[in-house]
Amino acid sequence: MAGGKKSRASGPTPPSTTLVLDNGANTIKAGFVTQTKTDEPRVIPNCLARDRHKKVYVGSELDKCKDFGEIVFRRPVEKGFIVNWEAQKEIWDREFFDEKAPQRCDPSETRLVLSEQPNSLPALQTHCDQMVFEEFGFSSYYRGPASAFNAYNDIQGILKTPRAPDAVVERPAEVLLLIDSGYSHTTVTPVLQGRPLHQAVRRLDVGGKLMTNYLTRLLSVRHFDMRNDTYVVNEMKETACYVSLDFKGDLDKTWKGTRGEKRPDYISGAGIAKDYVLPDSHTRFHGIIREYEPCVSSRIRKGGVSTEDVLTLRNERFVVPELLFHPSDIGIRQPGLGDLVMQSISVLPVGLWPGLLANIVVVGGNSLFDNFIQRLQTEILERVPDACIVRVARPEDPITSTWHGAANFAKHAHIERLAVTKQEYEEYGAAWVGRKFATGLGVDGDKQP
Amino acid sequence: MNNFGVIEVASTKTTRAPGWAYVPDVGPSGAQAALPTNRKRAARNQSGLSLSDASARQDAKIRKDLEALDRDTHKDVVIPIPTKGGRNTKHTPNVRKILQSQKTFANHLDDYQALVALAETNPAAAAALHPVIPTNKPSAPPSTARNSPAPAAPTASSTKSTTTQTAAASRRSAAAAKRAAAKEAKEAKEAKAKEAAAAPPPPPPPPPPEDPTPNDTTTDTEMTDAPPSEPTTAPSEPPPQQPQSYPPDGTILPAYQRPPPPSHPGDDDPLLVSVVPTFPTDEELRALMTALPLNYLEARAEWGDEEGRYPTRTFCEVCGYWGRVRCIKCGARVCALDCLEAHREECVTRYGL
Repeated sequence: MAGGKKSRASGPTPPSTTLVLDNGANTIKAGFVTQTKTDEPRVIPNCLARDRHKKVYVGSELDKCKDFGEIVFRRPVEKGFIVNWEAQKEIWDREFFDEKAPQRCDPSETRLVLSEQPNSLPALQTHCDQMVFEEFGFSSYYRGPASAFNAYNDIQGILKTPRAPDAVVERPAEVLLLIDSGYSHTTVTPVLQGRPLHQAVRRLDVGGKLMTNYLTRLLSVRHFDMRNDTYVVNEMKETACYVSLDFKGDLDKTWKGTRGEKRPDYISGAGIAKDYVLPDSHTRFHGIIREYEPCVSSRIRKGGVSTEDVLTLRNERFVVPELLFHPSDIGIRQPGLGDLVMQSISVLPVGLWPGLLANIVVVGGNSLFDNFIQRLQTEILERVPDACIVRVARPEDPITSTWHGAANFAKHAHIERLAVTKQEYEEYGAAWVGRKFATGLGVDGDKQP
Repeated sequence: MNNFGVIEVASTKTTRAPGWAYVPDVGPSGAQAALPTNRKRAARNQSGLSLSDASARQDAKIRKDLEALDRDTHKDVVIPIPTKGGRNTKHTPNVRKILQSQKTFANHLDDYQALVALAETNPAAAAALHPVIPTNKPSAPPSTARNSPAPAAPTASSTKSTTTQTAAASRRSAAAAKRAAAKEAKEAKEAKAKEAAAAPPPPPPPPPPEDPTPNDTTTDTEMTDAPPSEPTTAPSEPPPQQPQSYPPDGTILPAYQRPPPPSHPGDDDPLLVSVVPTFPTDEELRALMTALPLNYLEARAEWGDEEGRYPTRTFCEVCGYWGRVRCIKCGARVCALDCLEAHREECVTRYGL
């Protein structure tokens, strides 16, 4: 270890440009960072897609696709971790390394900061390190937990803590409880001074994918078979679903009633029922959400002429995100998000609880559901001691939040202590790199300048 | 004959001998008594079996459903990488192996589990197979740090724990010593909690002896268990200074610098006083921050104990309302008659009349 430090000190100066990649299962967030300038990240679909005309789209080419009916995807990232490097390399090549790549860079003069989900498998981590150095040849590299990168954001700004306008933003944030609810799963990570407390990391295997699939199943049972239109259903989930603040009440309002009963809430829709117009792949390529119109839907049911396919969404709208709070509703034997937070902090000393509970930040696409933050706050409040203050907040853009954190990290002094150069990799090997990344920042580094 | 002196006593035991048997009559459902004439009916009537059988069937269904929900696409699709010439096709052996690997995450997870199992039974073989996992040690050994005294280990408690050590050395019952140590540690902790509560900037009066709020949690009791396990490390450390602020000065988390909130007339009200839990010491924090990541399976949250859990909710399989009625045939839940009829159609096609 000492040798590593010495060689780095005498080695070449670190590259000035950093490519920051938040390599998610659904989208890659990518952008360049230099000491003076931070570009806005580009959000690239992390998939190979094939539409019904057998045309294949790779990565950001998907933007050119119009008709998403019956589109199928191949994703290199499984359960949050890069598994299929064949596909991932193709996407990276096209986005970053090819002649005409939109974000072209020369790896030999670039540092890579790559985010990963916590608790990865060592074999996959080794694969990642080997690919980065041996195939792409980045001159310097750090792979770190996505949750820890978020600590380099302006957490108190996200939480809207009142403070002096000229106050210096603390990076990394002193204390933070980060909830990352993404495509593959939802994790809870307490972070102190930018160091994740690994013993308390907990994962719930409910993510955006599972919820989309669940909505697909509900629609296929109650309306029509949507199993080949995952993309359309996902869009529907994003626009129409919300987290219920009163699950029991909402469920009652959307109930048809026993036989022959005409419940007024059901007939009027009670503000919950919405009509969703499906794309028809000729004039309309995206679905539209509309207020529920009882007379229109009854006319359609009677066989009236209609040019559009309309689905009436009732309890589907809030039952799907409810999985995050009650996974047992579909038989998943895991605690809900509120209990997940409690399980996580219960392995920590009680003295840390007030700080963690008052600084909860939620990132990831699922936090965009309406009412998600309020519901999570109530769920946690029900479980913690009365004296604790619970603050839950969501950054302005929860999807690129991790990327922005990683970009700030790339400018921070910490990166110099953690990054590994290509020479070091060649000298000490992949195992050493893996250990170094797993050990992380340590504790006492900040004391010395 | 007096039966050779043998007196028969009525018993509940079943005695069997060739030709005759004593069978206690405990009701109509004698286990073997009624020999069935119909094999099919016998299978159906076996007590206990049908219930567990149904739940096993439902378990399998749930598992299958969850697997389906976990998939990326409804059908298996193969999208080959579009070929594109003019790219460097020379790879290092490692890279070639990785690129050609068609393993899924499930394969990798199985490999990992096998490796962990091997490491438990045969560490040498596992180390030879893969040097990185899973017994890698960090630069700073966390094991000693993790066992280092819990927050309530000021000088008083450390001396006390040494006395308990001598007590243990005097070959008394080890369990008794441990219990005593835990008790003393708890006392010390309570004393410390009082100090800490008294210390913060807007000084509240000492808390009432029985505080109903946060302290009686599981973590709290876990922390008190720590000191007796390795008391020898305690004396070597400098006694932690009295906390003047919350968290105390000179720790990994620096002290709160800004002015305290303005005082409130209710501050002195003993009923409104909130209990400030003791802040973890530097050693504890260091152990937490340098601990290595858990593995994939350990990090998965599991259900807690049975008592602390609400019963699972059941929903109508047709419309999604509460599942208040169970289908007699297959055990599926529905909400009311309308949905039951809709369900019957499906149920009949699946299981027959």
